[in-house]
Amino acid sequence: MTVQLLEPELDRLQGLWSDGLSDAYRAYLESVGRFAAEVRPRLALAAALIEVGVRLQGLGGHAAPATTLLMGDLCLARGSRLLADHAPLAVQVAFARAIESVSSAAASEQPAPATRLLLQQSLGAMS
Amino acid sequence: MSGTRLDFATTQPTEFVDITGRIRDEVRSSGLRSGRVHLQSLHTTLGLAVNENEPLLLRDFEGLLERLAPVGAGYEHDDFSRRFEIALDEPVNGHAHCRQLLLTAFATLLVEDGELVLGRWQSVFAVELDGPRQRQLAVQLDGQFSSAHQRTMPESLVELELTRQLAVDPDPVAAPMRRLVEAGGKRLRPKLVQLTAAIGPRHDPLRAAELAAAVELLHNATLIHDDYVDESTHRRGRPTVAAAEGPERAIAVGDYYFAKATRLIAQMGNPGVTSAVAEALEAICASQIDDVALRGAYPGDRDSYLRVVRGKTASLFAAACASGAMLSDATPDVIGALRRYGELLGTAFQMADDMVDFSPRSGKPVGLDIRQRVLSLPLIYAAEDREVGAEVRHLLAGALGDAQVGRVAELVTSSGALPRVRAEATELVDAAVRELEAVELDGLRPVLVGLARSAVDRDS
Repeated sequence: MTVQLLEPELDRLQGLWSDGLSDAYRAYLESVGRFAAEVRPRLALAAALIEVGVRLQGLGGHAAPATTLLMGDLCLARGSRLLADHAPLAVQVAFARAIESVSSAAASEQPAPATRLLLQQSLGAMS
Repeated sequence: MSGTRLDFATTQPTEFVDITGRIRDEVRSSGLRSGRVHLQSLHTTLGLAVNENEPLLLRDFEGLLERLAPVGAGYEHDDFSRRFEIALDEPVNGHAHCRQLLLTAFATLLVEDGELVLGRWQSVFAVELDGPRQRQLAVQLDGQFSSAHQRTMPESLVELELTRQLAVDPDPVAAPMRRLVEAGGKRLRPKLVQLTAAIGPRHDPLRAAELAAAVELLHNATLIHDDYVDESTHRRGRPTVAAAEGPERAIAVGDYYFAKATRLIAQMGNPGVTSAVAEALEAICASQIDDVALRGAYPGDRDSYLRVVRGKTASLFAAACASGAMLSDATPDVIGALRRYGELLGTAFQMADDMVDFSPRSGKPVGLDIRQRVLSLPLIYAAEDREVGAEVRHLLAGALGDAQVGRVAELVTSSGALPRVRAEATELVDAAVRELEAVELDGLRPVLVGLARSAVDRDS
């Protein structure tokens, strides 16, 4: 049911669904129980898109080729828009800080904290 | 007072670069009504001059400089055996330094009624004496600014906010972004935010500057990734982050400021603003994918071009206008009108940008877009042209070396493509201006109209 609901949000990104996005989505579904039922799938998808996005970009590793980077950028942007439309402010801020933390570590060539853990914690952020 | 930097590239050892149009643009967009523009060369082999832009006369000047300070006339400066701390790429350029001594490194121009005061035959030149090189001029404007600008355009607030935000960031991300920010840029998106944030009843210049700075950071973050994708080596006259520090750093810096800008905007606590900017960012990223995909069918067609430009450029213009208005609690009809104004202006702006690629007065190498196979409306129209189209398409289908790029640029210029694009951009600006007619803008209509006109009527 939820996947059909999310179909429009996968525009241009359908190929990623079987390439790790669905697994990440299911993992994040377990972290969104405190939200209203209608927004849970969208928040889980937002988190999954951001996790997959930074992986596609090669953030913290070898830079992705141009076209893959652009897919990663779209994942981040869509995840961010889903959060803007459906997440409380505290969660939006926590997600942004999580990306800042991972990208700052990558720029400093320092080991980055695990993205999934950071994003799961972000879903628990309270105002 | 306001200030900026003019960046440009020269292509010849000695070259008179006409910067009159660019200075006019700076005056118009600054809102300076009466006062002075101060120019200063930031190089010891780049001079300034005010004279007539007549090609034979410029050759006379070149000849005069050659007679007064000939190349290789035994300059002591060129005797590296007698100098200390010589750079590996130190040029033999004693003649260029001596020639610069004959010119000037600074100039002051007057402004009256919002226009540069120049005689009928006067043009302002940056004079390259040791090119080709990337060059930069410092520009300051002081005097009396229009009241609307005084009310709405404290650009220094945005610059301060950018500086403040970058000061608290870790150096590995802040340093590359600071270089990009300090290199200048037109700052059109933040200007639109500041202007539109002055329209509603809750005008707060500090909050407007915060939003404007965040939008500029977001724009720059997208540019950093774009430059990696396009394999661009320079932006605003300086090496791109990807070229200077590698693609890994470029990706990280882009991501950091994408996230930070998003956070700053969210923390302003206006969900409409957050959503408007987030939607624009998504449109930019989707259009980037289309843009790259279309390069397989280069130069593409007008419909595809418009679809890409609406996402890639116009969406953030529209969001800047709408979000500024939302921040000030403007009415929905005003927000809607400004959003449409921004979208039309953004599309026209991109068309004007495309035309700059064919202008020898732009300060950038002619044909850079062709070389990088960037989507360009003049090129699309030239490829459709009955007379030159076949040759343009043939050249674009092959490898693009200097000769091919030069020939394509010649064909585009000789066809009717540029006037056609200019007319189309002007029509879009007219349509943008019409969007402003039916709504109450608290006296800011002339400024928005002026900004729209100057965004299209430019050489750089």
